[in-house]
Amino acid sequence: MTLPNVILQICQVLCVLLLAPLLQGFILKAEERIQRSRGPSIIQPYRDLWKLFHKQSVVPESASWIYLIAPLIAFTAMLIVPILIPVLTDRPLPQSDMGDMLGGGMVLTLGSFAIILAGLDSGNVYGGIGSSRAVMLAILAEPTLILVLVGISLLAKAMLPFVVNHLLLGSLSIYWSPAHLFLILAFFVLLLVETDRLPIHSPTHLEIYMIDEARILEYSGPLLALLKWASMMKQFILYTIFCNVFVLPWGMSQIGTPLGEIGSIVSLLAKFLLVALVVIVIETVQSRLRFYRYQEPLAAGFMFAVLAIVSSQLL
Amino acid sequence: MATYLLILLFAAPFAAVVLSFAVRSSRLSEYVTVVAAIVDLVVSVPLLIQVLNGPVNLAHNYIQVDPLGAWVIVCISIVYTLASIYAVGYMRLLDEDERLPLFYGLFSGFAFTMLAACIMNNVGVFWIAIELTTLISTFLVGFEREAESTEAAWKYIVVVSGGISLALLGTVLFYWGGSFVLGPSYAMTWAALHQAAPAVYPPLLLVSFLLVLVGYGTKAGLAPMHTWLPDAHSESPAPVSAMLSGALLNASMLGIARFLGVVRGSSINGFAHSAVVGFGIFSFFIASLFIVRQTGIKRLMAYSSIEHIGVQALGLGFGGVFGVAGALYHMLNHSLNKSLMFFGAGNAMRAYRTKEIPGIRHVLRVFPVSGTLWLLGAVGIAGAPPFALFLSEFTILRSGIGGRYRWAAVVFVVFLIVVFIGFLAHFRAMYFDDGPEQQVPRLTGTVWRTLPMWLAFLPLLLFGLWWPHSFWNIFAQIAHDLMGGTQ
Amino acid sequence: MFLAHVNPLQASIFSSLAVVSLLLTFVMLGSHWLRNYVFAFAAQSWMIAALSACVGYFAGYPELYMIAVLTALFRGLVLPYLLLRIIGRLNVKRELHAVLQPSSSLVIGAFLVMFAFVIANHMNSQSLLASRVVVMALTIMLSMKFLGFLMLTVRDEAVSQILGLLVLENGIFLGSQILVPGMPLLIEIVILFDLLIVVACFGMLVRFLVVHAGTTSSRQLNRLVG
Repeated sequence: MTLPNVILQICQVLCVLLLAPLLQGFILKAEERIQRSRGPSIIQPYRDLWKLFHKQSVVPESASWIYLIAPLIAFTAMLIVPILIPVLTDRPLPQSDMGDMLGGGMVLTLGSFAIILAGLDSGNVYGGIGSSRAVMLAILAEPTLILVLVGISLLAKAMLPFVVNHLLLGSLSIYWSPAHLFLILAFFVLLLVETDRLPIHSPTHLEIYMIDEARILEYSGPLLALLKWASMMKQFILYTIFCNVFVLPWGMSQIGTPLGEIGSIVSLLAKFLLVALVVIVIETVQSRLRFYRYQEPLAAGFMFAVLAIVSSQLL
Repeated sequence: MATYLLILLFAAPFAAVVLSFAVRSSRLSEYVTVVAAIVDLVVSVPLLIQVLNGPVNLAHNYIQVDPLGAWVIVCISIVYTLASIYAVGYMRLLDEDERLPLFYGLFSGFAFTMLAACIMNNVGVFWIAIELTTLISTFLVGFEREAESTEAAWKYIVVVSGGISLALLGTVLFYWGGSFVLGPSYAMTWAALHQAAPAVYPPLLLVSFLLVLVGYGTKAGLAPMHTWLPDAHSESPAPVSAMLSGALLNASMLGIARFLGVVRGSSINGFAHSAVVGFGIFSFFIASLFIVRQTGIKRLMAYSSIEHIGVQALGLGFGGVFGVAGALYHMLNHSLNKSLMFFGAGNAMRAYRTKEIPGIRHVLRVFPVSGTLWLLGAVGIAGAPPFALFLSEFTILRSGIGGRYRWAAVVFVVFLIVVFIGFLAHFRAMYFDDGPEQQVPRLTGTVWRTLPMWLAFLPLLLFGLWWPHSFWNIFAQIAHDLMGGTQ
Repeated sequence: MFLAHVNPLQASIFSSLAVVSLLLTFVMLGSHWLRNYVFAFAAQSWMIAALSACVGYFAGYPELYMIAVLTALFRGLVLPYLLLRIIGRLNVKRELHAVLQPSSSLVIGAFLVMFAFVIANHMNSQSLLASRVVVMALTIMLSMKFLGFLMLTVRDEAVSQILGLLVLENGIFLGSQILVPGMPLLIEIVILFDLLIVVACFGMLVRFLVVHAGTTSSRQLNRLVG
């Protein structure tokens, strides 16, 4: 018995919504475990969100309507993107042609942009710092992102992530072609940057290091919960794109039976496990880069993307 | 017959190298080098006469002695002889007696590799020979253990190695282009490349030729790849400077000339000649401007070398019998004249203990005889009659003014005037200006240092007044080989 | 000719090896430490040796096996060892990028690769070989040349400049293995040994630089001007 496509699409969105905190919890716990301490429980982010939703919201006096709207925009954008990408099923579902890969990237950036505005809005010093640093990273990372999307489109001769997924499933020689491997490396660098992992981000709340925490420093209560949830969903979505479109396109539901859906969720979590472990190992091994050296990994990512595009023309 | 001559030609410097390194005696190495150089000179002339009847192929076609190669061998041998005689007197002034065997060993080794480059038929082995000349001459350039010499040697090896790697790339691309015509595996001789050239895809051939031109042009000192030349030629000991200017630059121009011969008859022939003319005139222009504002005496000579290499490139680029003949005659005359100039500069440097022109005054009081020779040499190198460079430059001008390169010939004449005025202004300052009275010490070894200047000056005067008909025959034959009768 | 009949498996093997070599050049461009340059160069030489062996196997030139072994031995082991010894004697460990930061070098390098691709496309026409392996070989050869010259131009340290020259030679060697595998053996062997002599000379010169000029950084070697 196959589920109707609309239900499948709703399942995808719910999956992202509900499982994003689990991924965050896993990453935090695993980081601590690697360093031989106990770490928080895996479901701790759920508890945090629950707690935040039941707290009072304190709004600064200098805030405007942007302060209230921004978390909603970010949250909504993160809910839209799972519609466009293959999360559980690898065939296009209703409304997935609302935007291709470039469109999906733009919606993700819209969410970040809303949070940047929110950081500036209340006039707080830390908000300004965080927003400016975030914008600098965005300037360095966006060209690479666009080139990665161009590269993958040149490989697949289409701009839809589903086509790429089918291509990589079907053809082993394209999977192992230099163009594809370079794209994986480039996107991995972007993944590290966008999900605020070291060597860019530091988990401590010292002002000199903060990028993301600084922007949301003024928020509290349900709005803060929405923002944190939005960032967790962004991480989940980027991991999904990385796995399902680039690296591990296997294990997705093709027909749409309920059993297939559950199996797809399980395989998704397994894939994330692998990627998260790699990310954690990299984070543990490295220390934070100086601010002026942020350009180096991003330049490397840019170079990988360019090499990927050139290789795709040569092979 | 030619085989024996060749063996003798190479055995002489080889024996000099071995003896210098084996028996670490300064006096022995000096005399052995002079003897080897004279043997080379004596052997090279009959060799040239011999190959006029037809090129000599040896060693499975790896070695080919044709008139062009033999002519450059003659020029190199002349400089080798003059420089080694001068070196005997000059190097004794340096107070480095223990290291002299090393110097003379490297000196003869340098001559050996240059001579070897002239006879290489295989393009790849030719490249290797040129690379070897770079490696050996680096240590000659840095022989005096000063900070400036080491810096000059470092700059020399980095810039020139980078440049000739471009030449290697061009060679590989030439070979690749030829492999479409001659099959995937064939002997990489000049003749084979020439045979394949008309059928090679023109953009590929063009890129290959430009790479080779820039690569060997770096070694030859064409601008804008000349940046190593003033440093290397000015910081090395005077005999080495003479060898570098008089012999090595000629060997590099040989490479460019041979590649011009390779692409004759192909579709890029005109463009190739234009490129060579372009580099030549640019070198001339740059060199003339730098000559005007020079303050170091040997750097002045080095820029003059760049200028004359530009003239040779102009001659080869203009093409035709007059152009090629002028360029070849210029090779000989420039070798003679530049050696004379560097010898005089070496004398002046040792006597006045400075490299700066403002520090050298009243040369005639210190060097009555060699100073006169030096002054006359300066007049010659600026291109004035009755010295030989005037004849060769005039021939090149004659070939250029009638064809499509008239603009280059006009620029040539204009900047020739600039060079004349600039160069001789420095000499006027050194000879006739007032300056502080200095106590200039008498130097030893005068005969050793003056004899080569006479030996360089007399042929210079002779060839300026009389262009031997036999030379003309040689040049016409070489021009025919290089041009293939297309111009 | 061999290049006209390259099947996809061979093409992908050649491409992977060549592209990894190019990547190692970027590693050299982007890193700060002199030892990393040498290790990247050694790895690159091993890649090129593997490429030699592959070409010898697929195209039927058994003499290329010997070239591969010699390359791996001399360029992959002896040269890096000599270079590490030179670095060990100096008292500099890292390159101070005064002119161009590593990240900017990476970006410029990426643009140079694109430029090399354009040139290679132009040099190879329909009338020659429509083979992508040829264009790739030309691109990588030209881009390694460009990157080598970039390293030569913007680097101060003597050892970095030596490595720039070695990268130039490596690029030519890589290209020649794919494009002209039939090039006479003598030339390839002599060029191989020639590099050895070149590095030996560089070693001596670096020692002279340290002793007489007091520095190996070309920023401070500026006594000769005009």
